[in-house]
Amino acid sequence: MFVSETMNTNLVTVAPETTLSEARGLMKDHNFRHLPVVDKAGKLVGIVTDRDMRDALPSSLLSEDEYGRTFDRVMEHRVSEIMTKNPLTISVYFTIQDTLMVMGSKKVGALPVVDGDGYLKGIMSTRDLLKAFVNVMGIGEPGTLLCILVNETPGQLKKIVDIVTEENVSMGSVLVARYWDGEKRAIFPYLLTNNVATIKKKLLEQGFDLTDPMKWYLDQLPKKNG
Amino acid sequence: MKTGFVFDEKYLQHIPFDGHPECSQRLIAILKGLIDDGIMKQLHLLKAEPANQRWIETVHHVRYILRFEEACSWGLPDFDHQDNSICRDTYDTALMAVGGVLKAIDSVMENEVDNAFCAVRPPGHHAELDKAMGFCYFNNVAIGARYLQRRWGVDRVGIIDFDVHHGNGTQHVFEHDDTVFYYSIHEHPSFAYPGTGREFETGIREGDGFTLNSPVLPGSGDTVYKEKLMTDLVPAFEKFKPEVVLLSAGFDAHVSDLMSGTELTTEGYDYVNRTVIDLANKLAGGKVISVLEGGYNLEILPLLVANHIRTLMGD
Repeated sequence: MFVSETMNTNLVTVAPETTLSEARGLMKDHNFRHLPVVDKAGKLVGIVTDRDMRDALPSSLLSEDEYGRTFDRVMEHRVSEIMTKNPLTISVYFTIQDTLMVMGSKKVGALPVVDGDGYLKGIMSTRDLLKAFVNVMGIGEPGTLLCILVNETPGQLKKIVDIVTEENVSMGSVLVARYWDGEKRAIFPYLLTNNVATIKKKLLEQGFDLTDPMKWYLDQLPKKNG
Repeated sequence: MKTGFVFDEKYLQHIPFDGHPECSQRLIAILKGLIDDGIMKQLHLLKAEPANQRWIETVHHVRYILRFEEACSWGLPDFDHQDNSICRDTYDTALMAVGGVLKAIDSVMENEVDNAFCAVRPPGHHAELDKAMGFCYFNNVAIGARYLQRRWGVDRVGIIDFDVHHGNGTQHVFEHDDTVFYYSIHEHPSFAYPGTGREFETGIREGDGFTLNSPVLPGSGDTVYKEKLMTDLVPAFEKFKPEVVLLSAGFDAHVSDLMSGTELTTEGYDYVNRTVIDLANKLAGGKVISVLEGGYNLEILPLLVANHIRTLMGD
């Protein structure tokens, strides 16, 4: 799943010579925390964040008069003076998994998406990413989550899928948690149905261990010392 | 207490595909249990009639009602989702289920009986205004609440839904409404169907504060249920002061029911029964109409329903 399918393409951009006053207005009107900065040709040259903007504002400890005067002066400055130049970007060929890894390792809240020539194509915020994962996990649709413990031997997932298929039920997603109990794995199929009784019965009959998803989760928490 | 009981042979004629958990054997098992137990003799039987479409329209869109009728008469295998398996009689059965609830309401409001249990199917609490979901077609309880308001002039209706699944349909019908309080205790939506009913869903605009959800995690049993009912349901209802209480009575939270991951015991269910019925007796002068929703383990369902009815009778 490429970011090009989930990124925000309804772009609000500014030019390097845009005033802080105008940029601040755009951020407020659209409730955005990031504004990509592009040149006349549409190439990305920087990004300005609400944090950059706050850093540029006068101290709130100043008197009202002093604050007002300084504020007006600050607002006449240009975006190019406060923006992050050559910001971290991702390519339109990045997957949402790549994006997740990048956002996790670098401390950024949004990533401009550019094509091979550096032209801005979209922006991917943490909120866009969360939406994409809700979609991947299929949890926007009604369903039931099972938690099945299996031995680490090939063919286990097939047996589960066969049972689900026999019951004519669609899967929203399947998560597999590795390193469960050394030789075991936990499989979490999200089934798009209310009708899980028959599937559970068949799984039990085939010797699968249906565990309580909460127990699995709690077991993963670090044990308290002493 | 004089307890009314709604049942009609028609309720057996909605026949989903073989092996579907929401099957007519559920009601047969319940009836047999009540007869064997000797409870049936003490119940006041109420005769259902098909509901007039005007009452269905207080909740569902006309086009949805027609679409459902057509799907059944064309002999389609299911409606809106493969979970909702139908036959040619499903539409008439669903009309009769609503009609049964309306009959029970009339009997309680006319003081013919003190309270009533409706052994109806198909169930209703997942049914949305324009969509069938989770074995439900017409929202029996939601229509009942509207009927209480429009036919009987009741101002405040309290709904308690203890089916293990969240009653998304009922919540959505009333989430803007401050005259109907919807309370639901159910398995947490991250694990269980239909994926709604989180604590932060509390109603919208003037309805804010009139929806209350107590999601419980898989593996939860009697202790958690007791705690949630005491801290969430009881104070909310004492403040709201419903004039009539409708129950969406689901028995699928039982430890032996494979439809859920909760572990309520038979004794735990007794506690739920006692709590909700005591509350209704105290606040709503005992005016309770209890409507069957889920409960799919045919071995335990008859006992749970019998215990529930015994509590309604004041035993």
